[in-house]
Amino acid sequence: MASFIDFRNPPGSDRRADTVVRATAEPRWIRRILIGIVVFFFFLFLLLPLVVVFQGALVKGVGVLKEAFTDQDILHSIWMTLIVALITVPANTAFGIAAAWAVTRYHFSGRQVLLALIDLPLWVSPVIGGLIYVLLYGRRGYFGPWLQAHDIKIIFALPGMVMATTFVTFPFVARSLIPLMQAQGVEEEEAALTLGAGGFQILRRITLPKIKWGLFYGVILCNARAMGEFGAVSVVSAKISGKTNTMPLEIERLYNDYLFPQAFAVASALAILALITLGLKTLAEWENKRQFEAGQRSLLEPTIEAAR
Amino acid sequence: MSIEIKSLHKSFGAFPAVNDVTLHIETGEMVAFLGPSGSGKTTLLRIIAGLEFADRGEVYFHGENVTPKSANERKAGFVFQSYALFNHMTIFENIAFGLRVAPRGKRLSREKILERVNSLLETIQLPGLANRFPAQLSGGQRQRVAFARALAVEPRVLLLDEPFGALDAKVRRELRRWLAEFHEKTHLTSLFVTHDQEEAFEVADRIVIIDKGAIQQIGTPDEIRSGSGNTFVKEFLALHI
Repeated sequence: MASFIDFRNPPGSDRRADTVVRATAEPRWIRRILIGIVVFFFFLFLLLPLVVVFQGALVKGVGVLKEAFTDQDILHSIWMTLIVALITVPANTAFGIAAAWAVTRYHFSGRQVLLALIDLPLWVSPVIGGLIYVLLYGRRGYFGPWLQAHDIKIIFALPGMVMATTFVTFPFVARSLIPLMQAQGVEEEEAALTLGAGGFQILRRITLPKIKWGLFYGVILCNARAMGEFGAVSVVSAKISGKTNTMPLEIERLYNDYLFPQAFAVASALAILALITLGLKTLAEWENKRQFEAGQRSLLEPTIEAAR
Repeated sequence: MSIEIKSLHKSFGAFPAVNDVTLHIETGEMVAFLGPSGSGKTTLLRIIAGLEFADRGEVYFHGENVTPKSANERKAGFVFQSYALFNHMTIFENIAFGLRVAPRGKRLSREKILERVNSLLETIQLPGLANRFPAQLSGGQRQRVAFARALAVEPRVLLLDEPFGALDAKVRRELRRWLAEFHEKTHLTSLFVTHDQEEAFEVADRIVIIDKGAIQQIGTPDEIRSGSGNTFVKEFLALHI
């Protein structure tokens, strides 16, 4: 029997014999080291840079900050970022719902190919994402001569920037919906169908309410990426400050021009947008949890009634 | 409403799920599709509802060819084994769903919807649960709500896919009796899929025994019991009776 004595809880140790030691529990020192490493990296790579960004913006005083946010070029870059996100996010939301619907509801040939294609932007460098549009719509591209003849400007203009951002943010909504819709199955939709509901009614009354939190999450992720995209946009934008610069591109320009406080000012504005996004996401998760718990609580009602 | 099925075929890849099925169901009949799992009985029911489409063959509702029509045009009342209730809606809204999505000209007024849903809640003996959510109900209660939801739009035919399959034996017997009584009162043409012989023999006017996608025998419970069926039927019944 001696060999069966719990080595973590030897006789005579101060731990009580009935303490449950789970098989997955690590010794305390390992836990401490692991948590320590995580906290260290969190500070070094996430929190510290964020603090430095805000500090860098404020280092020359509030005056520079005020100046930065009255600068026409900088204001224009904020405007460009918002407009690119405003077009890209709804487009990719519509696409994401359609793609998730098609992939999870129908079995067609080429379904696997479509699934792989949705992921493509995650696999290739964003620079390539920008480059393909230059090769297609640029002056020397496939459609270049035709576009030029009709005086349509795509590359080095807003349409190209929207296209490149759309490419990069393509997978986010679809990706957050596909596993959810796969898990939920189609029975509720089928039931609605036999009750006489049309396709649009089913989408509005059954499918969208079922997927709303997943959808919200995907949209927010897509938005965060659309506002922060650098690589793809930098290829198709001519990087003309005051014309085709988004916030990330403007930050680079200011930095290269040694205008550090201004660069950090724009960077902190972008960081604030990201923090707002993060806040919304957390709020959505809380609300989701609150609704779930409210549902759980009302589960107890029958028992209370029965007791009376 | 009578249902007519003419030489129906359906394959999933190389696997024939429904193989040349021809069947006539009279108005007011209660018919059971009985067979082992994987025999194609659910697929047959889903083709009748319009949730699945046959490769060949036709389906007639009361003499009208509904083969090309989708499920929302056929409006057969369908009850799923797993209830398929709308989990984000209250019991009231679940039952009212079919009434709310009706085309504008045919839609009932709010008062009429309230009246209809409340009377259905009485029918299924669950008054007072209107504001609960499906997750707060027991399995038997949920399946009764699913019945009420299907009945709300006054379908001319009721299709039940293993309706009691997910319930325990006691609730199963209760609901089975309830369904038999309901059919006795309304004489709504009903088809139900089951692999439970006791259920088929107790509730159905006629039993259709299905295996490998084909009909093995059709008859009243007495006819089937008399042992006039083929080898499969004899073996299948002997296993359980």
